[in-house]
Amino acid sequence: MRYILLVLVLLTFLLTSCAPQTHQPLVYGLTLAPSGIDPHVNASSELGIPLSSVYDTLVYQDPATGEFVPGLAQRWDVSEDGLVYTFYLRDDVTFHDDTPFDAEAVRFNLERITDPALASQKAAFMLGPYARTEVVGEYEVQIHLSEPFAPLLDALSQVYLGMASPTAVEEWGDEYQLHQVGSGPFVFAEYVPGDYLLLRRNPDYAWGPSIYQHDTAQVEEIRFEFFTDPATRSPALETGEAHIMGEIPPQDAVRLTEDEGFYVEAAAIPGVSLMMFMNTTRAPLDDPLVRQALLYGTNRAAIVSTAFRGTSPVAYGPLAAVTRGYDPAVEAYYPYDATTAAALLEQAGWVDADNDGVRERDGEPLTLEMYLMGWGYMPEVGQLLASQWAEIGIAVQSEVVSYPEALEIGAEGRHHLIPFNLSGSDPDILRKFFHSQASFNWAHIDDAEMDGWLEEAARTSDETRRDALYRQVQLRVMDQALVLPIRDYVNLNGVSGSVSDLRFDAQGWFPILIDVTLEE
Amino acid sequence: MMAKYIGRRLLQSLFVLWLVATLAFGALQLTPGDPAQALLAASGATSEEIARQRAELGLDDPLLRQYARFLGELVQGDLGRSWLHGRPVSRMIAEQLAPTAELAGVATAVGIAVGIGLGVLAAIRRRTWVDAAATAVAVVGISVPTYWSGLLAILVFALHLRWFPATGSGSLRHLVLPALVLGFALSGSIARIVRTRSVEVLDAQFILAARARGLPAHRVLFVHVLRAALGPAITVSALQLGFLLGGAVITESVFARSGLGQLAVEAILWQDVPVVRGVVLFSAVAFMLVNLLADLLQAWVDPRIREAL
Repeated sequence: MRYILLVLVLLTFLLTSCAPQTHQPLVYGLTLAPSGIDPHVNASSELGIPLSSVYDTLVYQDPATGEFVPGLAQRWDVSEDGLVYTFYLRDDVTFHDDTPFDAEAVRFNLERITDPALASQKAAFMLGPYARTEVVGEYEVQIHLSEPFAPLLDALSQVYLGMASPTAVEEWGDEYQLHQVGSGPFVFAEYVPGDYLLLRRNPDYAWGPSIYQHDTAQVEEIRFEFFTDPATRSPALETGEAHIMGEIPPQDAVRLTEDEGFYVEAAAIPGVSLMMFMNTTRAPLDDPLVRQALLYGTNRAAIVSTAFRGTSPVAYGPLAAVTRGYDPAVEAYYPYDATTAAALLEQAGWVDADNDGVRERDGEPLTLEMYLMGWGYMPEVGQLLASQWAEIGIAVQSEVVSYPEALEIGAEGRHHLIPFNLSGSDPDILRKFFHSQASFNWAHIDDAEMDGWLEEAARTSDETRRDALYRQVQLRVMDQALVLPIRDYVNLNGVSGSVSDLRFDAQGWFPILIDVTLEE
Repeated sequence: MMAKYIGRRLLQSLFVLWLVATLAFGALQLTPGDPAQALLAASGATSEEIARQRAELGLDDPLLRQYARFLGELVQGDLGRSWLHGRPVSRMIAEQLAPTAELAGVATAVGIAVGIGLGVLAAIRRRTWVDAAATAVAVVGISVPTYWSGLLAILVFALHLRWFPATGSGSLRHLVLPALVLGFALSGSIARIVRTRSVEVLDAQFILAARARGLPAHRVLFVHVLRAALGPAITVSALQLGFLLGGAVITESVFARSGLGQLAVEAILWQDVPVVRGVVLFSAVAFMLVNLLADLLQAWVDPRIREAL
């Protein structure tokens, strides 16, 4: 009897140890537990979800129009030669630690990012041909470039180039990422790596950009927690442990949509769509007819409805449809047509003479090697492709590899096919994939004309000219059948019915947290 | 006597540790891919910039020099800095240690309690349906992977019954489900050894004699059987620490808990070599210390072993 009592007492203790708190924070589920979350140093997209509201940026990009609007800089001008950007800063901004924001702070931040000792994994590269920053007046600062760089404003509008308090950076050194200080609508209150990150409303915020609807945040606290296992994300939402959850698996998203208490906010992510890169230097894919046959022989709509439950749009070209500079002309290319695919293969000399279901040429079977990374539904997509291509007499050998290994295979050209996708709002992202010197040139294309277009488009600030150049690149990529686009990336955010006004910025990844409201 | 024994064991441990360190160093050399490229490729770094990063990380040095530098730092207790985060590995491990230790500790307690309960029950009701049921439960515990039982537990106890939170860490309530899932998985192997040992004790001549002289059943159970079962249970659970650390990786991921497992997974995905090495070495040290402790505990429980030392 005594033992039963003891057990009861213990149970009561267990159940009450988490008594309801005075006010409920908004709980936002993230999908990775990045222990490195300094936006100047680290590269993950996850870090920007909380930190886009901790840091302010010089400019912002309006997600509706794609225009750049004032942020910490009230206005700016660009020199005739495109080498000098002058920013006229607000004079009423203070960081969360009361350090005033001024031109010197901008110089401090950009010098920190480009200091090789910081070993920046993303921010420094976003600055492109950055040369130096010059403080012109207390609130006037110039960024000098060594050559013109059109994506600069796009870069400066992102959290990776957000403005940190110089006082805090100097005080904390190596441990700064645990004690970050910005000037945004939320204060970085507490961070326990791998466990949670707490943001608290900044009551003094009064310098938000026009894309923010409110002057100050509508919720007192936001607690970010990490849900690395996709299968647990939807349950955490349904038990009320989280109010917003990113990257819900498609089948769970479909179920949540049917549930009255929840909705799904599908955020389209600009950048390079999920696509298979076809190695143009390795037989038989060195033959454009075979590459085109793969495109005609793929039923992308079926893949999207099976692997993604119809939650993402079919991709037609190298850029996702929501990316600036996207050319809808790609949509006319390579509709699903198995008969044309078969005819192209025969034209290229691939025939199934021995009737074993796989075509041959000169005794060699038509077998393709595919390397897949274990995330982003790549294995599922690979499997569906293999089964579709089996019908037109192509055999596929696939292997799941790690990201570093895929990079090595891709660079050495040991593959026939590798899928990839990457997010980014500026079409300059194409340069990372289709320039002959690019790190993701997994099509192994060496096209001097296309190199020229990509380089010119990165330099010119004339938007019409840029669009025309990127149009040429997109059409060339499809004409040459360098890639097999599969789907545009969509971040499926599961949201509790008690949350409203959740919108995302121009990158698609980062929520505009200042406007989010939570019903108690 | 005891001190000499401990000294010998520690010396052996040092040798094993060097072996583990060398293996960890070698294995990571053999993994395909270039960590510098993995860090920078998505940012559009040029091949020169990637080469510079590689040099910075010391990856261009001859293998022997890299190995010597690694061992030299290790001797000074320095596990290096994370390539991904630039922070000292030892500090990152220290931060993630508490939640994993908490989970592993409570799961071990659960595993020992459930395992001894099942094993003794099966032994005293030998060859009845109770024995069959207890053995079946033990087999289920051993064979069902924790990522499956974890999701099942979330489904039943969090989603439907709403007794415990599905995910997260921090409070005791968050610990219940993961500790039960991991403890249950551990209990299977404990139950089996406890059953075997208990059967031996129950069949022993001295027990028969004691019972013949009228020793009450509960004294047989509590004094003789349980004491005999405790020793093997401790050894098995110590030997299972490797399983426990591995299981914690999966359990942490299923229940969205922080801990060493999450740290290791991220590091492996990004080829953050110093962190992977650090976690491996740390686990090896923990494994050796716990086993040494278990042997000492067993000596304390079992006088025969104490005298043999």
